[in-house]
Amino acid sequence: MKLNQLILAIVAGAQFAFPLLAADGEATNSTGAAQNEIPASAAPSAANNSAEAAEIEALKKEVQALNQRIQNLEQQHELQQQAIANTNQEQIQELDQKVRILERQRELDKEDATAAAKTQPLVKLDANGFTLSSADTNFAISLHGLVQLDSRTFFADHNIANSGFLLRRARPIISGTVFHDFDFMFVPDFGGNTVQIQDAYLNYRFVPELQLQAGKFKSPVGLEQLQSDSVLPFNERSLVTDLVPNRDLGVELHGDLFGGVASYAAGIFNGAPDYNGTTVNSDSDNDKAFAGRIFFQPWKTSDMEVLRGLGFGVGGSYEADRNGTSGLTPGYTTDGQQKFFAYTNGVAANGTHWRISPQGYYYYGPFGILGEYVISDQQVSRTTAPLVSGDLQNTAWEVSAGWVLTGEDASYNGVTPRHPFNPRAGGWGAWQVVGRYEELKVDKSAFPTFASSTASASSAHAWSAGLNWYLNKNIRLNASFSHTMFSGYTGATPAVPAQAENVFFTRIQLTF
Amino acid sequence: MKALLALLLASALVAMAGAKEIKFLNVSYDPTRELYREYNVAFAKYWKAKTGDDVVVQMSHGGSGKQAQSVINGLEADVVTLALAYDIDAISEKANLLPADWQKHLPDHSAPYTSTIVFLVRQGNPKHIHDWDDLVKPDISVITPNPKTSGGARWAFLAAWAYALEKNDNNEAKARDFVARLYKNVPVLDTGARGSTITFVQHEIGDVLLAWENEAHLAIKEFGADQFEIVMPSLSILAEPPVAVVDKNAKRHGTLTAARAYLEHLYSDEGQEIAAKNFYRPRNEKIAAKYAGQFAQLRLVTVDGEFGGWQQAQQKFFGDGGIFDQIYQH
Repeated sequence: MKLNQLILAIVAGAQFAFPLLAADGEATNSTGAAQNEIPASAAPSAANNSAEAAEIEALKKEVQALNQRIQNLEQQHELQQQAIANTNQEQIQELDQKVRILERQRELDKEDATAAAKTQPLVKLDANGFTLSSADTNFAISLHGLVQLDSRTFFADHNIANSGFLLRRARPIISGTVFHDFDFMFVPDFGGNTVQIQDAYLNYRFVPELQLQAGKFKSPVGLEQLQSDSVLPFNERSLVTDLVPNRDLGVELHGDLFGGVASYAAGIFNGAPDYNGTTVNSDSDNDKAFAGRIFFQPWKTSDMEVLRGLGFGVGGSYEADRNGTSGLTPGYTTDGQQKFFAYTNGVAANGTHWRISPQGYYYYGPFGILGEYVISDQQVSRTTAPLVSGDLQNTAWEVSAGWVLTGEDASYNGVTPRHPFNPRAGGWGAWQVVGRYEELKVDKSAFPTFASSTASASSAHAWSAGLNWYLNKNIRLNASFSHTMFSGYTGATPAVPAQAENVFFTRIQLTF
Repeated sequence: MKALLALLLASALVAMAGAKEIKFLNVSYDPTRELYREYNVAFAKYWKAKTGDDVVVQMSHGGSGKQAQSVINGLEADVVTLALAYDIDAISEKANLLPADWQKHLPDHSAPYTSTIVFLVRQGNPKHIHDWDDLVKPDISVITPNPKTSGGARWAFLAAWAYALEKNDNNEAKARDFVARLYKNVPVLDTGARGSTITFVQHEIGDVLLAWENEAHLAIKEFGADQFEIVMPSLSILAEPPVAVVDKNAKRHGTLTAARAYLEHLYSDEGQEIAAKNFYRPRNEKIAAKYAGQFAQLRLVTVDGEFGGWQQAQQKFFGDGGIFDQIYQH
């Protein structure tokens, strides 16, 4: 462009360099008359003019040549610019592709990383304990725990029972799954004065409706007995549980039908006497017990909220027990865990032992009530004179109820505080009041042949009231009072059934 | 009181006797999303009319090999509808979830529809791509997924190999060199066909996509013929995506009857029509004739005829240390 301007300037300069000539010529031409007025002395001038005209013509040609050259240069320049632009465009496109590829590669790498993360083992630590599982959850192992530090304070009992602290339960709980369908549980207990294995079993889940469990676990009879130790409303289970089997060794078929609307369990076991705090890990006879339970929660999955928490069922067991003392209860105990009844020495189980336990509960909002009735019918014989046999039918029942003052839902599986204890944030956990009435009657015909009224009471009934404070999902404090009365005891004082048992319980519980 | 109890009992029975709903999982390969979305609705109507039961089919999509591995690892598929028979064979062999002769359980080797591999290029075919030879030129960028995880990619690999063999008088070394040069032009390996389509179509990467025929048609249908065009190579491969009931899972889930019917219905006129509408080549001759216009005729080799079946092909080309591992250096 500049070059072009320069050329134009040259052309203009050339015209300017001969201004007079041009002006004269133009003036002459413009007048039209001047051509006819050539002076005599004009001949040399004409020659001069002709030379100048030739020079001008030459200059014009030169200018044209220069102009052409400029145009050529401009075209070349434009072509070069176009070529550069094309090259740049290609480079840009190439770079654009590279950037796109890198971006896509990055996306794919992220996808790969996400996919790889899905195959990494999962580690979880929260209020529900510690769990390590494979990415597909086909394999998992969980570590839980239950520790209960209790105190029992007895009043007006002639110093028969010891008031004090005790480590009621101290259980590491190891559970898990292998190959997706096989669950296991192992629960030793270091609480009390004897270390025992509470649970050790393997469960095969074919489908939720059909599962097979083998090992040592709770016999499927008593509703209160089957409730988890960590969610019991009181420190100790009621007199009803004195008449049902505790944990036993065996094989059980069980399952939940229709999403838990109905559940069932039926199995064959070594056979356990009426409630026995200390369980064993082997069989002491050849007899086997059959135990089973069916339980319904018909509205569990329905929209009828008011009935959703209703459950009822029946459990039972049957055993032909002819093995003497090992099949007989070591005794029935109070809420304070004091023995108030035991068969006399020389009495043994000898015949059938069956139990039946209708049972049910109802939970609605913060309210909950649980009731259970048990008949334990056992044939016994004396092994010392007089050699007689008898069929004794002991019964027990209980009703317990509770109300969560802070409004959380009550349930068979416990209470979860809506606002965990944290005074700084205004959280005070959940508070629940609970009450219970219970009764156990020993068959009257047990006395005096198979039991002595001077050592045992023939019945006990008790009421209890308590306050539970759930600080959070893991920590809970209990306080309760229990009053138990006895009848049928004719023995001397001091003795457990000689007067009512009054005991105040407290508990600090950690569960995770 | 009796009336109240009767009411409670009746209410309980009603709560327990809910409508029967059958749910099962179809684990499929990447580009079948649209096909089974439409087919599942049709089958649910068919099954409801036939049995009164409601069917809900859940879908899982991904690269065929990857999907098969997921089922082997525990993904509880009731049916599998994968890209190639080897992947279902692997489920049978490694997880024993269905019998080894599963291909005999349904007609046409349990492949109710077929497909092939075509080229999808940008509108106007700016790089003048017409056949496999064009894909090995240095300035061509080819998009195809990873044959280790994608069924479609394995079909594409074998098609390229078959072309190279034919062109080089069955000289394997030259075929190997040809395919190596082709994969040298692949800048990104997605895990599945749908991922590669996204790479090519949405991310605008590459000059040509080695695509399932149905996937290529779908891209054009979705993005318009003014964006892409299909190029039919001189030779490709007959792809037979198979289907099978995963018997053990289905039995355990109580879905066996419905799952079998689900796959059998793919062979019905309705199933075949849906397949054709989604650009899968139907087996049913009547339906195939009806849709003949949308499927170009081209020369197709078969995996059995050209490669001795999938077991051999898998081991030779795609197994660990196989030819693909040897040639792909990215």
